[in-house]
Amino acid sequence: MASVTISNVGKAFGTMNVLRDINIDIENHEFVVLVGPSGCGKSTLLRMIAGLETVSNGEVRIGERVVNDVPARERDIAMVFQNYALYPHMTSYGNMSFSLRLRKRPQPEIDQKVRDAAATLNLLPFLERSPRQLSGGQRQRVAMGRALVREAQVFLYDEPLSNLDAKLRVVMRTEIKALHQRLKTTSIYVTHDQIEAMTMADRIVVMNGGRIEQIGAPLDLYDRPGNLFVAGFLGSPSMNFLKGRMRRTQGKAYVETEGGIGLPVSAATAAAENQPVICGIRPEHIAIAGEGGLPVTVDVVEPTGPNIEVFFSLAGQNGSAVFTERHKFRPGDRVALHWQPEHANVFDAETGVRL
Amino acid sequence: MLKKSILFWLILSPLVVVILFPFGVMFVSAFRPREELFTYPPTWTFSEFRWANFAEMWVKTNFGQALLNSLYVSVLSTLLAMILSIPAAYALSRYRFPGKRAYRTFLLMTQMMSPIVLVLGLFRMMVALGLVNTLNSLVLTYAAFNMAFTIWMLQSYFSTIPRDLEEAAWIDGAGHLTSLLKVFLPLAVPAMAVTAIFGFINSWNEFVLALTMIRSSDGFTLPVQIYSQVAGRYQIEWHHVMAATMLATLPVAIVFSWLQRFLIRGMALGAVK
Ligand SMILES: Nc1ncnc2c1ncn2[C@@H]1O[C@H](COP(=O)(O)OP(=O)(O)OP(=O)(O)O)[C@@H](O)[C@H]1O
Ligand SMILES: [Mg+2]
Repeated sequence: MASVTISNVGKAFGTMNVLRDINIDIENHEFVVLVGPSGCGKSTLLRMIAGLETVSNGEVRIGERVVNDVPARERDIAMVFQNYALYPHMTSYGNMSFSLRLRKRPQPEIDQKVRDAAATLNLLPFLERSPRQLSGGQRQRVAMGRALVREAQVFLYDEPLSNLDAKLRVVMRTEIKALHQRLKTTSIYVTHDQIEAMTMADRIVVMNGGRIEQIGAPLDLYDRPGNLFVAGFLGSPSMNFLKGRMRRTQGKAYVETEGGIGLPVSAATAAAENQPVICGIRPEHIAIAGEGGLPVTVDVVEPTGPNIEVFFSLAGQNGSAVFTERHKFRPGDRVALHWQPEHANVFDAETGVRL
Repeated sequence: MLKKSILFWLILSPLVVVILFPFGVMFVSAFRPREELFTYPPTWTFSEFRWANFAEMWVKTNFGQALLNSLYVSVLSTLLAMILSIPAAYALSRYRFPGKRAYRTFLLMTQMMSPIVLVLGLFRMMVALGLVNTLNSLVLTYAAFNMAFTIWMLQSYFSTIPRDLEEAAWIDGAGHLTSLLKVFLPLAVPAMAVTAIFGFINSWNEFVLALTMIRSSDGFTLPVQIYSQVAGRYQIEWHHVMAATMLATLPVAIVFSWLQRFLIRGMALGAVK
C-alpha cells in the first residue's frame, strides 16, 4: 500500500486544457473520493494516475516513485471500470485470475487467492460463468474481485456503481466501504453522486471545470463549504441561496434582502457592512417560527416519506425547507420561518467565496 | 405471428424465385443426359440422375487443375490481405495519427473504382515484375483489391470492441503484445472470420483480372475455365458447363455455412458489454 501525491498536474488534449494545477496528497490507507459535475475531468485525472493517459504537466507519485513515465502495468495499481470491462471470453474465474496468471504465480496460490476473493464477494457459485451470464451486480463484484486478488498498492474506481439500480448501489456502497475498512488499501474513487462521496470518503475532492474547488472531510465540506459551488454541489435538496446586503446592528448580523427582510447570519462573518452577499442556508436547518419569523409564501409541498419538502418564496426569491414534522401546508399559505444564525453561511456575491 | 410471416414470404417470393431460378436450371441441367437438354416444352424433370456428367466433365474440362488454381489464389490472397489488414485496421481504430481521415477517404475511394479501369495498368505492372501468366500475380492483385474492403470492415468491427478491455489488461500487468494476443484478438476472431469469408468469395469469383493475367490454360481459375467452355466454341456441352458451375459454387457454400456461426456472432459482437 502506498500514498499518492499529485503535484501541479495539468492535462491538455491538443490545445484544450481539461485539467489545471491539480494538487492532492493522498495518504496511505486513505479513501479519497473525486466528485464533480460531468466533464469536469475526474476520469481523466484517475486515468492519469492509472497510467492510461499521459501527464502533460506536473508530477504524479505513487509512494516515493515518480510514475509519470511508468507504464500502467508496472504501477501496481488495480482499477474498477464504469462498465466493468470484464473479458467477455473468460469466465469469472478467468477474469479474476488473469493478472496472477500473467505473473506466472503457481496454480495452487492462484486458486487460493481467487477463491478467497470470491468468498468475500459471495461469488463462489458464479466462478464458472461467463460475464454474459451474470447480472449487473454480479459483474460488478467480479470486477471488484479482479482488483482484489491483485493486492495492489492503490485501488482506483471510476464510477463503479453508476450502472446499478438504486437499491443495489446502496448495498455495494456499503460493501466497498466495509472492504476498505478491512483491507485498508489506499483508494481513489470517482463519482458524480454526492451522496456516494459523502458516505464513503475519508476526504472529498470537489472538482469543477478542470480545477479543484475544495478538499476536505465530508462533514467539514458540508458544514463549511469554501465557496458557492461546493455549497450547492453537496447536499440534497441543495442549499438555499438568498441574495442581499450585509448589515450589522447591536452586535447581530443580517443579510438584508431587497424587500427589507433581515436574514440572520453569524456575527463572526468577515463580510463588510453593505457588501453584496449571498446567504446560504441548508433546507434542514430551517424551522417554523413561533412569532417574528421570516414571512414566506408556500409554493409547492412534496412529501418524500421521512420528510416533507416545502418550496417557498421569500421576498421574491425561491427557497426550500425540509421538515420531519407532518405540517399540513397548502400552496399559498403564509408561514413564518427562522434558523440559527450560526447555521447560515455568507458568500461574497461576486467571487462566490465564503466570508 | 404465423399470418405475418406468411405475408412476408409472399412479398419476398418474387425475389426468391428470381434468385433460385438460375440455380434450378443449373441443378437440372447438370444431372440430365445430354439428349434431354433442349426438350420442348422445357420441363423440370429428368429421366435419370446422371452422375457420370460430373466424371466426364472433370476430365474433359481439366476441372481439377482449375480448382487447385482457384484454391491457391483465393486462400493465399485472403491470407495476405488479412495479415496486412489486421494491423492497419487496429491502428485505424485505436490510434490517432496525422492523415487518418485522408487515409480512410482514400480507402473508400479505391472501392469506387472498378478493376476493369485498372486492368491495363496492372497488366503492364505485372509484365514489369515478370509475373504475367503466374498465379502469384493474381494473389497480389486480389489481396490488394480486397484490402481496402477488409481494412474498412475490420476497422469498424474493432471499434466496437471496448478499449477498456485492453486498458484493463494493461493494468492487470499485460504488455501491449500480451493484451493483443489474449484479450483483443480472441474477441476479434468472429470479425476476422467474417471478413475473410468475404475476401475469399471475392477472389473465388473474380473474372476480369484472371482472364487478363493468365495466358495459358493450365493457369486458369474456375471462372475462366468455365467461361472457356462456352466462349468461341462451335458446340457447347451445356451439361458439362452446368456441372462445372455447380462444383465451383460448392466450396463457397461450404466455407460460408461453416463460418456462418461466426457471422452471426460477429454481428452480435456489439451486444457484449
Ligand atoms: N481523449 C480525449 N480527447 C479530447 N478531449 C477529451 C478526451 N478525453 C476527455 N476529454 C475531455 O476532457 C474533459 C474531461 O473529461 P472526463 O472524462 O475526465 O470527465 P468526467 O469528469 O469523468 O465526466 P463524467 O462524469 O461525465 O464521466 C471533457 O471535457 C472531455 O470532453
Ligand atoms: Mg468519467
